[in-house]
Amino acid sequence: MEGRGLDNANPTILSVSQLPSRRRKGGAVRRGPDSKCDSIVYPRQHWPYGSGVSSGEDDEEEDEEEPIDEQDIFDLISTISDPEHPHTLGQLSVVRLPDIHLSPSPAKLPSPDALVTVRVDLTPTINHCSLATVIGLAVRCRLEQTLPPNYRVEVKMKEGSHAQDDQVNKQLGDKERVAAALENDTLQRMVDKMLSTCV
Amino acid sequence: MALKPKSAIISPLSPFTPDLYQRAWCSIPHPTLPLIATAHAKSVTVFSLSTFTKHSSLTGGHSRSVRTVAWQPPFDNDSNKGGGKRLRLVTGSFDATAGLWSYKPKAEDELEQEVKFGNGDGSDNEEEEEDEWEFTLVLEGHENEVKGLSFTPSGQYLATCSRDKSVWIWEDVSLASSDIPGIPSGEGEDEWETVAVLTEHEGDVKAVAWAPSQLPNSRPKNASRYYSAECLASASYDNTVRIWREDAAEGPGEWVCVAVLEGHEGTVWSLQWESKEREDGRFPRLMTCSADGTVRVWRVKHDEDEDQDEGQGLMGRFGAIPNTMRRSLKEEWECEAVLPRVHSRDVYSISWSAKTGLVASTGSDGVVAIYAEDPDAQEEGVSRWSVIGTVKNAHGPYEVNHVTWCKRWDAGIEAERRGKEEMLVTTGDDGVVKAWEVRVE
Repeated sequence: MEGRGLDNANPTILSVSQLPSRRRKGGAVRRGPDSKCDSIVYPRQHWPYGSGVSSGEDDEEEDEEEPIDEQDIFDLISTISDPEHPHTLGQLSVVRLPDIHLSPSPAKLPSPDALVTVRVDLTPTINHCSLATVIGLAVRCRLEQTLPPNYRVEVKMKEGSHAQDDQVNKQLGDKERVAAALENDTLQRMVDKMLSTCV
Repeated sequence: MALKPKSAIISPLSPFTPDLYQRAWCSIPHPTLPLIATAHAKSVTVFSLSTFTKHSSLTGGHSRSVRTVAWQPPFDNDSNKGGGKRLRLVTGSFDATAGLWSYKPKAEDELEQEVKFGNGDGSDNEEEEEDEWEFTLVLEGHENEVKGLSFTPSGQYLATCSRDKSVWIWEDVSLASSDIPGIPSGEGEDEWETVAVLTEHEGDVKAVAWAPSQLPNSRPKNASRYYSAECLASASYDNTVRIWREDAAEGPGEWVCVAVLEGHEGTVWSLQWESKEREDGRFPRLMTCSADGTVRVWRVKHDEDEDQDEGQGLMGRFGAIPNTMRRSLKEEWECEAVLPRVHSRDVYSISWSAKTGLVASTGSDGVVAIYAEDPDAQEEGVSRWSVIGTVKNAHGPYEVNHVTWCKRWDAGIEAERRGKEEMLVTTGDDGVVKAWEVRVE
């Protein structure tokens, strides 16, 4: 694949230390991509911050876990691998923290079933990237697999960033097409490979 | 004049068991028997509406998810019309095929008994039940996912639609060539033919529905006698709905798009015809729901220019006039109402009761809503609707993919109301099929 058929042969790459994290100046809390993703699965054990730290060992109080915020979403998807470069979506700035929005804030939900919309605007490395749909699919897939069922995931191409914004956005918003795409062996293999750096 | 329903109290009945533990797409009730078929993963589970337990399942026919399912008419219980002894389903799958299934009860009389009384005691045939549905025929032709299915009321024609942007019309030839309506000729050999392939949509076709041609108000009027009796509607990812009719002047199999319904600002997910006979004799209306969060009602404007059409029709039958000149081949449809907005996200499903005329909707926001039409609305070409009941989080935090009105057969109501009174059944991403009692006041 190298040197042939790449949509963008020379993307800008950020190092891991340049990526946004919860404690930019607070020292090495994070131990790498693996532990970041565990945080969703085992939130009490792996979130050593915030006000609810005190009862970290108490399994019985799991329902009072920290509300999910934009940084958590970023941590979930920034470690997805790009389908053509040996880097993550975070390193390539395809996923950016300021382009992740949660509404309403999960901290203020009236009930556990109340819906939260997660909107992620992706910035493909160049504006005709043919793999935009696959990247979007992987992001949607990752979030749907890890977030609670009251989260509604909307993955879009950042306005003006992609030549066929509307078509890609519509496909990624269509539950039926997403479900069918994930039953397509080729696409499923690509998505699995991209997500293999997250799990 | 009918009284206008003021409010509806929607309360949960016990859910169907067992849970399916994976996304379920839709649940389609049998029109006359106490059965409901739910499409989920690569299979269909049939539940008993008497006991709310599993009756049977259809597995092994498809290599990808089953998206949709339809019961094949006729349903007449009168055994000399064939309906009583015959239980047939068609499945539409992401594997690009539609599958035909026949239920084979072990003894002749067993079907009726089993269905009537349910087999919820589980005593007799737990082991064999998996084998009772036989996959009899596969309909191949679509290039990718089949998303919708619909039978004409006679069961003779089946429409399928797909992500490949096409609608296919198939004919059950064994039913057509039979001398007795409803009974296949020959020794039960299935024979199906492709009648037409309709390719005008510019995106996935999400759903298809045949007009209720069994109703007197659905029959072609003088003005349109150059059409055959059946009328098909299709809903698409291209935001439009199309109305199709067979042009009898051009011969069988010549289906034309007679109208394009534009107005929705997102994918049109589903559609339903008005199946309650209209007192004013007008052609049934069509209701559609969309990713734009709205539900719309459409009517055909045909009554006023009937006389002109008569002449056009006669000319049309000579077949010499090019399509573009035959105004009669076009129908004018207009949106007569946008239902009061309830949903904040995609509306995936609507159901328009043939019995009460009430409408139910549901979708991505997990809300189930019931609407009633104002029977006293006088304005020509406009209908008025109000929301008379809603349930939030009908499936907890999950999306609800389907809602349908369904006859009640359970022990929760008196025997004489069974098979008559209606309830709602919803199907969700949580793999749960739920029944809801609706009390209208």
